Amino acid sequence: MDTPIPTPAGKPARPDLKALVLLAIPVLLLAGVIAVFLLTAGAGLNVRPVAPVEDLAFERLVLREGEIEVHVRNTGPDTLTLSSAILNETVWPFHIEPGETLPRLGRATLTFAYPWIEAEPLAIKLFTANSIPFETVIPAAAETIPSGGDAWLRFTLIGLYVGVLPVLLGIGWYPALRRMGARAFVFLMALTVGLLLFLGIDAVNESLEVAARLGRPFQGVGLVATGVLGAYLLLDAITRHQAGLGRGESDQRLRLATMIAVGIGLHNLGEGLAIGAAYRVGEAALGTFLVIGFVLQNITEGLGIIAPVVRDRPSVRRLVVLGTIGGAPAIAGAWIGGSIDSAPLAALFLAVGAGAVFEVMVEVIRLVRRQTAKEAMPLNVFAGVMAGMLLLYATGFLVK
Amino acid sequence: MKPSRRAGRRDFLRMSGYGALAVAMGAAALPRDGTRKAPAFAPGLHAHGDGPPMPGFNREVDHIANGFNPSDTLTDFDYGVVSTLPGGRTLREYRLFSGDKDIEVAPGAAFPAWVYNGRLPGPTLRAREGDLLRVHFTNGSAHPHTVHFHGVHPANMDGVFEVVQPGESFTYEFDADPFGLHLYHCHVMPLAKHIAKGLYGAFIIDPAQGRPPAHEMVMVMHGLDVDFDGVNDFYAVNGIPFHYDRNPIPIKAGELVRVYLVNILEFDLLNSFHLHANFFHYYPTGTSLTPSEFTDTVIQGQAQRGILEFRYTYPGRYMFHAHITEFTELGWTGLFDVAA
Repeated sequence: MDTPIPTPAGKPARPDLKALVLLAIPVLLLAGVIAVFLLTAGAGLNVRPVAPVEDLAFERLVLREGEIEVHVRNTGPDTLTLSSAILNETVWPFHIEPGETLPRLGRATLTFAYPWIEAEPLAIKLFTANSIPFETVIPAAAETIPSGGDAWLRFTLIGLYVGVLPVLLGIGWYPALRRMGARAFVFLMALTVGLLLFLGIDAVNESLEVAARLGRPFQGVGLVATGVLGAYLLLDAITRHQAGLGRGESDQRLRLATMIAVGIGLHNLGEGLAIGAAYRVGEAALGTFLVIGFVLQNITEGLGIIAPVVRDRPSVRRLVVLGTIGGAPAIAGAWIGGSIDSAPLAALFLAVGAGAVFEVMVEVIRLVRRQTAKEAMPLNVFAGVMAGMLLLYATGFLVK
Repeated sequence: MKPSRRAGRRDFLRMSGYGALAVAMGAAALPRDGTRKAPAFAPGLHAHGDGPPMPGFNREVDHIANGFNPSDTLTDFDYGVVSTLPGGRTLREYRLFSGDKDIEVAPGAAFPAWVYNGRLPGPTLRAREGDLLRVHFTNGSAHPHTVHFHGVHPANMDGVFEVVQPGESFTYEFDADPFGLHLYHCHVMPLAKHIAKGLYGAFIIDPAQGRPPAHEMVMVMHGLDVDFDGVNDFYAVNGIPFHYDRNPIPIKAGELVRVYLVNILEFDLLNSFHLHANFFHYYPTGTSLTPSEFTDTVIQGQAQRGILEFRYTYPGRYMFHAHITEFTELGWTGLFDVAA
């Protein structure tokens, strides 16, 4: 497998005109095949389905007093026409913009003047002109948080509570950690690996959950994989580029801390986005318990950020900056989630967060390896990783 | 529905299901012929505190493309081609043909129905007690069908075992007996499928001496399982959900109204009819000239039927609907528009 790809000797590195033409020939032939297929109505294959294939995705539901707004997207292969709507077993008239016929991937907004009842389930069934029903259920109806000044403040507060405050509080352990020895340092780094691993797996799981709700054309799993790998490889490239600059070891540790902060920040962006979107449609009633849970869980993220620089002497200002990089994206995420509420985007953001966290984890593993190469520490790394994972598992009970 | 304390005109407008629009148009301008295409409600126009709109579709279905309008089939009786047999007995000959037809039962949505004579339900066949009836049936559908009449007749005229294949014909011959309100439907297995697809109609045998003159109409109650999952999606009388809600039935105060009510609802156990602000005399199966009950609500199982007679005292609009309110809100509802 290690055989290098042979390069034509003596040829210029840039493709010339002839190469471009040669590249284009298969593309032109492909166009011809497609044309034959279309002109002969399937080139001998019977490609007409017995029953029409239709798909409709419910992208967003907005509940106002006495009114329901339903945003749908045609995720089927053909144009789709909506016929009638049944709300909780009652045929209900609606206004539809821009029209009842949706092109492939086209969107429409249906508005119902319907007296929905707070905290009771609301089933929305839409029939297409081919009498195919599509249904969604709101388990407990609640007024959607309207956008505007008040909402921005609320989303800012959500971001503060679940992101900025816990991360900064975690960084507050810095003076205590400074007094620990090398073994404790390795344990702490291993703990960080455990935390990041757990966070990353959890983020992948969440992004796959969101992806499963996407319409078929959005290829949720592929989107998530692209997001995870894209974030991982980009951060990896940036880290290697910086490492190539070659500075002192303490400088490198500070860069690692910054990278961890960036990774956790990206993760918190996705988390804020998910919370903002859920909070907006009333799905997540952010109870006191839940907020406390998030603070407890995310305080460990602060711990992860400062772990590499415990033996150095970063300024307080530097620590605050690190905490802000890690936590503040939660605010931006909540804003985005609360205002645009796009499920494909949410899946992508969560995936990017996961990829970032995984990359940072690998960086920390490299640091731990360097340490353990100098001094054997049986079970220390195991104990640290397990402690990190179990810490998130235990605090997860408060937020799941 | 939220009760409104405002009486009279406003309520009446709200009942029509497009309150805001009606206010703009003036109540008198409301057409009853199904030409209205405007959405049933315009968001924003509907003033807060006015109550929600009535259930219903956004617009009327295309009756011309369907080939029938429930406002017409309501009072359409097929007396057959009448001739007199030697000996003076009346012979009535009817033609029924079955076919596969897409019917727009909800806006833009075609229900791939199986129907008699291109309409849902099939024609209301009407005869007089003692007549000889010949029903010439031709199967124009892609599936085997029959016509099974409720009534007294020989076994080979029962439309069960003499399955009529596509393109073939069969003539049913029997006496009009007993008088009353009956029905006919296809009896090919699987039976629930053949009924749910739309092969049914009302069959009236008038008593020899007739009934008192009245404003007569037929209502066949049925369901529409448009996605064929064995559960009704919509409910209706005479084919189209909400039709008489959008197009109220005009009657006069004081006149005797006679409703021939048939239930052929598949999948659900019971159906019902409730008349607003009035009571009716009920003649179960129409086989007696003496009413059995004076009531405002009657329940029928599948194939049960009966005749209702009533007069309205006060002019105005009055609902009639299944008092199984789920059915009401899924299409089985209508209005009488009583003129002074």
